[in-house]
Amino acid sequence: MNSISLYTERDSIIHHIHPTNKVIYIFASILVPILLPSFAVLLGGALFGLILLLIGKVFKRALPMIGFVFLILLTVIIIQGLFHPTNSVLVFTIGPAAFYQEGLLYGLTITLRVMNIVGAFLILVLTTKPSDLVDSLVRRGLSPRFGYVLNSVFQILPQMMVSMKTIMDAQRSRGLETEGGLRVRIKAFLPLIGPVVLNALTHVKERAMALEVRGFHAEGKKTFLYEEKSYIATKPIQWGIWAVIGLAVIGRLMG
Amino acid sequence: MSLIQVKNLSFSYDKKRPVLADITLDLDGRSTAIVGQNGAGKTTFVKLLKGLLKPDFGEIHIGKTSVKEATVASLARKVGLVFQNPDEQIFKGTVRDEVMFGALNLGQDKETAETRAREALERVGLGHLSETNPQDLSLSEKKRVSIASVVAMDPEIIIFDEPTIAQDHAGKEQIKHLIRGLQEQNKLVMTIIHDMDFVAECFERTLVFNEGKLLMDGLTRDVFSRQDVLHQAHLEPPSVTQLGKKLGFAETFLTVKELVSGLRNGGNR
Repeated sequence: MNSISLYTERDSIIHHIHPTNKVIYIFASILVPILLPSFAVLLGGALFGLILLLIGKVFKRALPMIGFVFLILLTVIIIQGLFHPTNSVLVFTIGPAAFYQEGLLYGLTITLRVMNIVGAFLILVLTTKPSDLVDSLVRRGLSPRFGYVLNSVFQILPQMMVSMKTIMDAQRSRGLETEGGLRVRIKAFLPLIGPVVLNALTHVKERAMALEVRGFHAEGKKTFLYEEKSYIATKPIQWGIWAVIGLAVIGRLMG
Repeated sequence: MSLIQVKNLSFSYDKKRPVLADITLDLDGRSTAIVGQNGAGKTTFVKLLKGLLKPDFGEIHIGKTSVKEATVASLARKVGLVFQNPDEQIFKGTVRDEVMFGALNLGQDKETAETRAREALERVGLGHLSETNPQDLSLSEKKRVSIASVVAMDPEIIIFDEPTIAQDHAGKEQIKHLIRGLQEQNKLVMTIIHDMDFVAECFERTLVFNEGKLLMDGLTRDVFSRQDVLHQAHLEPPSVTQLGKKLGFAETFLTVKELVSGLRNGGNR
């Protein structure tokens, strides 16, 4: 079955870092560049993210996503280089288009800021199983109901995709044309989406009953089915990230 | 007369592990059961016959039409496929509209489609429920609605995927009656099925699939007399066949009537 998760199974140190530490790292990658908006901090952060992806052995997997984001951000650099209001120092020209230092640097700053965040998110999604992330959040106080909803999204969407394929086959078998012009596709919409929605509603009801009969809403402390996975240096890494955030706050206050 | 010709058919989903390998057979008008354990390639085989999948190698011809070159919707005139789970197709507000859906897709006029839908519903014993919302029906009734919706399209070939699932005795009898009626109309009826008692009672020919290969193709009686083949395909003979063997009969009985007759006549023990 197809999975909506981007998790990539590898044996790396990054895979053995606690999921909540990766979440805190995302928080840091957003907060630190805001507190210390220098070019060096941004560049350092982005490079650090890329190094973590390399150590996690997921750089190759991340590359198309980074490339896609970079392609979009390239338009920001170009537009800022051409039209930023403070533009004054000409760097180069291409035909009639003149690019200025101020705008290019501003565009590059935005790009690095976004790349920082994207890199941190990629580290989380590429090296952490969604179920491990939810499990660790539930262990740290997240409502089990909300945890179940999160886990269900990862399970139900691939199931719905498989179900959609079968529904399409069943309706095509009954002579429904699904390929062709806009009119054909609009005509095919209801026969395809109808069973998906009706099935989903039935499944929700059945799931709710199946959960209820197995004591999902039982009062008291629940026992986890599995022992929590062992992660490396959870506390030191967490303190390290908080320390960086703390230093950034101090730097901001002093600077 | 050959209705479906399959020549050197091979297929795999991932282009690595073959799901079907080098299947060659001709399907004539005889009702045919396709049996085999889960993962033997039965569903893949019928999806290929229906054009829902395209062969990696080999050819399938429905009459003179090459399945490779036809769309699924165009093949619907010739081949009807009843899916295992009725919930994966039902979407209309009434049983009658649901049953008319396929017939209307094939371009039948409203009156003809309505008449065919009514007849098909009568044949599966649901004529009295034509104005009911299909979502209010039991799984057994929904299953028969999905069968009726394909019967109403009036294709030459009808393939069922596990028609007896969720059916009680009365439901099975209705389906049995329907299959016999379709045979009398000279339609090729095929089914994927795990219910060997039903195979013994309703189907003349049986194809045994095992690990993507056609292990045996023969008369149902011949297939159920081959313990070695059934064992290899992880199948059990029908209850009545097993009882006959336990009683020491050499013959292979397919129905209770045959067994009773054997007992009365002394049989070949």
